[in-house]
Amino acid sequence: MLTRIKGGEIVDPVNGRLGKGDLWIEDEAIVEAPAGRRADRTIDATGCVVMAGAIDIHSHIGGGNVNTARLLLPEHHAAHAQRPAETPLSNAGWSTFQTGCLYAKMGFTTVVEPAMSPGSALHTHLELADIPIIDKATLAILGNDDFLLSMIRDKASSQMIEDYVAWTVGSSRALGVKVINAGAAAAFKENVRTFSLDDVVPSYGVSSRKIVKTLQAAVTTLGIPHPLHVHCNNLGAPGAADTAAATIAAAEGVPLHLAHLQFYGYGTEGKRRFSSEGARLAELVNSTPEVTIDIGQVMFGQTVTISSDVMRQFTSRGTASPKKTVIFDGDGNGGGIVPYRYRDDFYGSVQWAIGLELFLLINDPWRVFFTTDHPNGAPFTAYPDLFALLMSRDARNAAAANLSQKALALSTLGSIDREYTFEEIAIMTRAAPAKLLGLKDRGHLGAGALADVAVYRKGKDIAQMFREAAFVIKNGDVVVEDGAIKNYRWGRALRLNPPPDKAMVRRLEAYYQERYGLSLDWFDFPDSAIRRDEPFGEVSCNA
Amino acid sequence: MAVAWIGDRDVPVAQAAKHAAGLLVSSLSPVFSFDTDVHGTRAAIALAERVGAAYDHIGGEALARETALFTDRGGMFIAPGETRRRADVVVIAGSLPAHHHEFVGKLASTIPDLGGGASRQFFLIGAETRAAYLSKVKPTRLAVTGSDVGGTLAAVRAQCAGRAVAEPVSNFERFAKALAEAKFPVFLFCGQSLDLPGLEMLQGLIADINRKSRASALHLPASESGWGSTLASTWMTGFPMRTGFGRGMPELDSWRFDVARMLAAGEADLHLWVSAKTSVSVAKGVSTIALTKGKKPVAGAAVTISIGEPGVDRDAVAWSSRIGTLAAVKAQAATDLPDAASVLRLIAEHLPDGKALPC
Repeated sequence: MLTRIKGGEIVDPVNGRLGKGDLWIEDEAIVEAPAGRRADRTIDATGCVVMAGAIDIHSHIGGGNVNTARLLLPEHHAAHAQRPAETPLSNAGWSTFQTGCLYAKMGFTTVVEPAMSPGSALHTHLELADIPIIDKATLAILGNDDFLLSMIRDKASSQMIEDYVAWTVGSSRALGVKVINAGAAAAFKENVRTFSLDDVVPSYGVSSRKIVKTLQAAVTTLGIPHPLHVHCNNLGAPGAADTAAATIAAAEGVPLHLAHLQFYGYGTEGKRRFSSEGARLAELVNSTPEVTIDIGQVMFGQTVTISSDVMRQFTSRGTASPKKTVIFDGDGNGGGIVPYRYRDDFYGSVQWAIGLELFLLINDPWRVFFTTDHPNGAPFTAYPDLFALLMSRDARNAAAANLSQKALALSTLGSIDREYTFEEIAIMTRAAPAKLLGLKDRGHLGAGALADVAVYRKGKDIAQMFREAAFVIKNGDVVVEDGAIKNYRWGRALRLNPPPDKAMVRRLEAYYQERYGLSLDWFDFPDSAIRRDEPFGEVSCNA
Repeated sequence: MAVAWIGDRDVPVAQAAKHAAGLLVSSLSPVFSFDTDVHGTRAAIALAERVGAAYDHIGGEALARETALFTDRGGMFIAPGETRRRADVVVIAGSLPAHHHEFVGKLASTIPDLGGGASRQFFLIGAETRAAYLSKVKPTRLAVTGSDVGGTLAAVRAQCAGRAVAEPVSNFERFAKALAEAKFPVFLFCGQSLDLPGLEMLQGLIADINRKSRASALHLPASESGWGSTLASTWMTGFPMRTGFGRGMPELDSWRFDVARMLAAGEADLHLWVSAKTSVSVAKGVSTIALTKGKKPVAGAAVTISIGEPGVDRDAVAWSSRIGTLAAVKAQAATDLPDAASVLRLIAEHLPDGKALPC
C-alpha cells in the first residue's frame, strides 16, 4: 500500500528535512516520493508536525520487578479506571495491554525495558510480548552476579569475560547491558548497607569501579551498539553528585551511558542539606563527550519506585506511601518495590528543578535523553506535560510559581531561558535514541527507514499536542488516529544475537550443575515459548 | 478417538467450541476456574474479558492467602538459587506441599558456598518433624504448647525482640544462638499452612532481623501453576487471580470472585473449567464447559473438550520453584491433544464478534 502524509511540517534532523512537505510510505517502509504514482491512502497532515516514531530508552515496562509492583499495588491499577482526570492515581498506566496503547497514543513506537534479570528473561519477554503496537527491547543486568564477580576476582581474561557477556546478551535476547549499583546487591547480601564507587564487595575483593570498567570494556569490545548503561552508586543520597561526577570521570574516553542522572543531582547545601547540583553535573556532561545520560525527571503525584538497586530500595522502605514494600534478594541484583508520592514540598521541588536543569543546561540534544525513569520519577503518561515544560519557559515559570521557592532558590532553573525546539525534541526522542541503541532502521524519516511515524496537531497547548497524536503509524499501519487506537498489532522485541562461545557454554553448564544443581537449560527457552509470530527482531553488533 | 462432546454425544472439536461459545454468550454470570500453564491462563483471561467472566485458580484458597501477602503487605523474599548458595540457617514455617520436598532435601544435602556460612542448620516452626521429607533435614522444632503455627511464629518474634511471652518457645535458645551466628537465615513458607496473619507475622520477624543483619523468606507456592497464573493475570489486567470482568473492566475482589464460593452460593450460571489434571464436579443448575483430559465426557457437563496436559502432552511455560521464575517446559511425551489455549481461542472465534483473542 502506498501512503502519502500530505502537507505536514516535517521534522527530520537526520536527513536535514525541516519544513512543509509530504512523506511517502510503501508498506512498512518510508520511500522517496514516487514519480507518477497515486497514493492508495492520503493522510492530511496540514497544521501538523511530522516526526519519526519516538523511542524511549529507559522505561520499566515489564519483567519480574514491574509485575511484583503491580501485585503489591492493586489499588494503583484500580485508580486508573475511567474517571475524572484529576483523581489521585489516575495517571499510571499499568497492565501490559494498556502500556502499549498509552505509549502509541503519544507517538512512541519503540520502548526499552532497561533492567532485565537474565535469569528471568523468559518472564520479561512474555510480558513484553503482551504489550501491543510498539517494539520493545531490554537491557540485561550484570555486575552483581557471582559468576562475573568471581571471574573478575580470579583475574579471568578479558576474552572470557566478553564471552560471558555475549552469552548473557544472546541467551536473554537483550539489546544491551546494564549495571546497577555495581557490586552493591552482592554486598547487601553480606549486610553492607552503603556502597560507593571505590567500595569493595566482600568475599570478592572487587570494587564497584572495577566492575563498571570491566563491563564497559567488554561491551565496547563486543561491538554492542549501546554503551554500558550505568545506574551509579548512591542513588538518591544527598551528595550523590560526587559519585556521579566520579563515574563520569571514570568513562575515560570510552562511551558510557548514565541512567536517570537527576537522582544523583543532589548536593548538601542549605539548612536541610539537600540542594541542586544540576548545573555542575550538566557542565561535567557537556565537557565529557563520551558520556550520554538520561534524566529520570520527577513529576508530582503518586507513583511506585521499581529498581534492581536492592540496597537503595531497602534503605528507602521508610518513605513508602502507601506503607508496603517488596525487597527481593535475587540471583544477581534482585530488586525492591517502594511506592512513593512526589509532593511539591521542598524536597520534591529540588528534584523537579534538578531534572529540568539537566535537560536545559546540557547543550547537546544528542547526548541527553528524555525519560522519567518510568515509573520511578513519574509514570510515562506524564511525558506530554514534561514536553511542555521543556518547550515553554512560560509553562516552567507557571509550574515553578506553585512550588517551594526556598527549594528553587537552591537551583539555577529560574535563570534559564532555553526552550526546546521541535528539531531538538526530534533529536532527543527519535534520532539520538536510535543512534545510541544502534537502531539504524528508525529514528528518522529517510527513504528505507521503518515507517514508524508520529503526526502531532500543532496548537498552543503543547502537552495536549503530545498527549494525543493526530496519527501514529507503526510499520506502515495507522495505529492511532486523533488520539484513539485504531489498529491493534504486535510489535517485536529487538535483540542482539552474538554467537555463544562453546567453551563458555560448557563452563556455565558445569557452574550451574555444581552451584545450583541445575542444568543451564533451565535458564534458556526457545522463541516458540513466547507464542507470538516473530517475537524478536535482530539488531547487528558493530563491526 | 473422540476428544469433544456436547452432553455425552461426541462431536468435532469445532462444533463443541461453537456450542460452548453459545453458552457463554447466553450466560448472565459466567465463572472460570483453571489449573493450567501461562499460555492457557492468558487465553482464559482474554476470553473472560470478552464474556464478562470472573476467574479463579482451582482450589485457590492457599494461593489467595499468598497473593494477599503481596497485595496487602509486601515483604522480603529471596530466590531459590540464593537460598541454596547462601542460607546457613533454614527455617521451615509450617508444613510444605509435597512438590517442594525434593528442593528441601537438596538443601539438606548441600552447604552454602557464598557469604561465609560453613554449614546449614534447620529449624521447623510449629509443624510435624517426623515427615519423611524431613528425615535428612533433622530440624530442631520450635513450638509453643497449645499454639498453632501462627501462634508459635508470634512467640518466636516476641522472644527474638526480648519481649515476655506467656508460654516460651521450645528450643528457643538454640534458635537464638543460630540466628546470632548466621550470615543469612532463610525462612521457607507456603500459604498452605499459614493464614494471612501468620504470613504477616513471619514477615514482621524477618523485618526485625534485617534491622541489624540479613534474613529473607523463600516463597514456595502452594500451587506452581497457580503462581504462574497469578503472574500472568497481574501483567494482563493489573490484578492477580480472583478478578472479574462483569462490569466491563477488571476488578479484583478475593471474596467476591472466589469461584468456589460463587458456585456454592448460586451466583454463577455457567462454569468453564480448565484443567488437564483434575476433572470438574458439575454443580446443580450450572452449565458446565469442561476442558479436561479424558476419554469420556464429564458427567453432567454441557460441553467437554479433551485437552493436553502442559509439559506432558504439550510444550508449556510454567512457574518453577526451582528457579523462582517462569520456565519453558518441553512436553514429556507429546500427543495430538490440543492445549488449553488453542481450545479457548477456538471458542472465542465463535463468539458473535468473531474476533481472535489477543493471546
